[in-house]
Amino acid sequence: MDFYFGLAQLIGVHTLLGLSAYVVLLTGQVSLAQAGFFAIGAYVAAMLTVLAGWHLVPALGAAALTGAATACAVGFPALRVKGLMLVIATLAFGEGVRLFFFNFDYQIAKGDIKVGPLGGEGFRQIRFFPENGWTTLEVMLFIWTFVLLVMALLWWLDRSRYGAVLRAVGEDELAAQSAGINLTAVKVSAMTLGGVIAALGGGLYAHYATHIEHLNFGILLATFAIAYPIVGGLASVFGTLAAVLFVQGFLVEGLRDLGDWRNLLFGALIVLAMNLRPRGFLDADNLRAIKRLFLGGGRGAS
Amino acid sequence: MLDLLQSASDGVLYGATYALIGIGFTMVFGVMHKVNMAYGAASVGGAYLGLMMLKLGAGLPAPLVFLGAFLAGGLLGWMVYLACFHFIPLSSPLATLMSTVGMLLLIDEVIVHTTDGMPQNYPALFDDVMLRFGEFTLRGDLLLVFLVSVACMAALLALLYRTRLGLATRAVSQQAIAAQLCGIRVAQVNVTTFVITGLLGGIAGAMIGAAVGTLSPLLTTPLTVKGLIVTVIGGLGSVPGAIVAGLLVGGFENVIQLYRGVTERDLYVMLLLFAFLVFRPGGLFAPAGERD
Amino acid sequence: MALLELHGVSRHFGGVRAVDGLDLEVREGEILGLIGPNGSGKSTTVNVITGLYPPSAGRIAFGGRDITAAPTHQRLSEGIARTFQNIRLFGGLTVWQNLWVAQNSAADRAASGFLSRWMGGQSGAREDIGKLLAFASLAGREDELASNLAFGEQRRLEFARALAAKPKLVLLDEPAAGMNAEEIADLDERIRAVRERGVTVLLIEHHMELVMAVTDRVAVLNFGQKIAEGTPAEIQAHPAVRKAYLGGDD
Repeated sequence: MDFYFGLAQLIGVHTLLGLSAYVVLLTGQVSLAQAGFFAIGAYVAAMLTVLAGWHLVPALGAAALTGAATACAVGFPALRVKGLMLVIATLAFGEGVRLFFFNFDYQIAKGDIKVGPLGGEGFRQIRFFPENGWTTLEVMLFIWTFVLLVMALLWWLDRSRYGAVLRAVGEDELAAQSAGINLTAVKVSAMTLGGVIAALGGGLYAHYATHIEHLNFGILLATFAIAYPIVGGLASVFGTLAAVLFVQGFLVEGLRDLGDWRNLLFGALIVLAMNLRPRGFLDADNLRAIKRLFLGGGRGAS
Repeated sequence: MLDLLQSASDGVLYGATYALIGIGFTMVFGVMHKVNMAYGAASVGGAYLGLMMLKLGAGLPAPLVFLGAFLAGGLLGWMVYLACFHFIPLSSPLATLMSTVGMLLLIDEVIVHTTDGMPQNYPALFDDVMLRFGEFTLRGDLLLVFLVSVACMAALLALLYRTRLGLATRAVSQQAIAAQLCGIRVAQVNVTTFVITGLLGGIAGAMIGAAVGTLSPLLTTPLTVKGLIVTVIGGLGSVPGAIVAGLLVGGFENVIQLYRGVTERDLYVMLLLFAFLVFRPGGLFAPAGERD
Repeated sequence: MALLELHGVSRHFGGVRAVDGLDLEVREGEILGLIGPNGSGKSTTVNVITGLYPPSAGRIAFGGRDITAAPTHQRLSEGIARTFQNIRLFGGLTVWQNLWVAQNSAADRAASGFLSRWMGGQSGAREDIGKLLAFASLAGREDELASNLAFGEQRRLEFARALAAKPKLVLLDEPAAGMNAEEIADLDERIRAVRERGVTVLLIEHHMELVMAVTDRVAVLNFGQKIAEGTPAEIQAHPAVRKAYLGGDD
């Protein structure tokens, strides 16, 4: 049973990662920086609980704020680069963050041992959960509380004017500007929101994994982050969730015996998925079809 | 001072490989307005396939291994095209981007699995040759890498500017629709671009292997990132830009490595990229673009 | 009383002078037509007025205020809205959403608080958007994706979207392109209806019958410069205009 709880924890954290990329993708910005914000959230939250003795919840709050600040700082220069240049710039940012942590040492003594991040060796002994007697089930529920909150927020956002404005910017920046939409405010705010969600996910990840290192936050993770909303489809947050379930559930559970081949299959899976369904699992059309099926043709903006 | 010059010179020679990778990225972008994220991996993959020929025909001379890498690169380029751009409508840019990322992961993992993740020795030529000018040295193997890369770049430029295919390629990169209306088969140009950049990538991979002495799957990530950085610094779509930027990045990183060590080196390359993005986002040579 | 004034406005692209020392005045409450052969600078003028390109020289004033340096989205809140020659709707959004996101007038901003304006649902906007839908004859179609509308419906939606922010001036960039006679008659009525509501109209068009029928005054561009200005009748008789453009037929 513990195994499934662990899987659910992973799925939860990856859903947050995917949702952070989803928000930014709505505005038409393909960001490979989300893994970077995730890493920052992980290290900040872990350092606060381990080195400064904070409780996890305020540590997560601080991590989220740090994620927001960094993402906001990234969001402004990101405005100056369009399309594929943004992909490259955000990729470089993510790698820069990883390299930063590769070189980052900050250890203090706790009793006999030294704790804290140690460059390439990573950050071990992130033991908030075990030290406070949390069971695997409790950790899973804790993580999923946040996941559901974020999903609810984003679902609500999709129904609000802000959500429509985000998508309008993603559709046609020229028309959006001419209709009075402030592109800077919209794109930077989306990036900031994405940063908050990613950092939150990172903080949670650090604590259930208990050991983090720079290699966890490389290009592969950045890829997962955008793969989920793209493969899942941008019409709804549920697409991203579905993609995480499919990728992690299918790869991990369905192909458990294949062990190391998972990453290879992940690559092949993406190629296949994109060829078969270029607009993702849940695109605008099947979303409407599903809605009609379940809600019997009710009103409401899509 | 001498150390600085030596580092810079070694770096520039090695940077020719970055230039080749940068050319590959920038040409695909210029012609199709897409980024082929799998390019770095395919280049390393081509080098590995060239190596397999060495294993199969034990004792093959190094030039044949390089040739094998060259051809294998072209083959891989064609395969990436098929997997990512042939069936997926080009109007779904996210889908094509994602599929190239998928290919990147796939190729990377195939390399890891077939070699069990163990680095493989790569043949080098002239690695015992040193041209000395007083205190200053030009390593023979690096010089070869540089010269082979330059030869490829020259061949490519000749192809682009002296042949009909090159003309068609440049036409498509400037105005794809008009090019089609003039009878140019855009799909054919696209495939050819992939194959040609694949060939270049194979050579680049082989040259990197030759310069470093080993090939390892760990090469793909930094190569991809550096290749993209070179592309951006040079100006998206500009072949001459990629050449200059490649040499620049090669020299720069080697000099940084001299003063700050290898672990911090890549961080500074990122900073170089960010400096360009802030001060000169069009890159060194912004290509002839269309009006808005 | 001049609502929009262009003083010596130029816009160069490299060596090309798309707009060259243009002086133009749009008077409050009028329907001004802007015509000229292809390449005469009409679209560039529109783009400079709406702020997509900064002028290479000259000043632009709106309602007496200098807006030369104002960014595009701000010009909308000043009161200048536009439609596009090649329709630019938000295809993936519904009809409702297309109108909703465009409610960016200063009055809209003042009317409701930050949170309700951004995070609120649809109810607050229902009345205003209902009126826009009625104008566009798209009532009841609000949940359809904009990309699924027929061409004429899309044009009407884009026009309504331009009105969503309650502008003082609407720039219509070749709205009749691709329309049949019936649709053009319909457009004529809509333009007049808009003027009835107190909105000034700058109409860029090629379709001469429409221009002559609906406008109060016409300005003619050629090679980026104004070559004539006057009532439709005056313009039709103007020798320079005939020479540059009308050529006898149409």
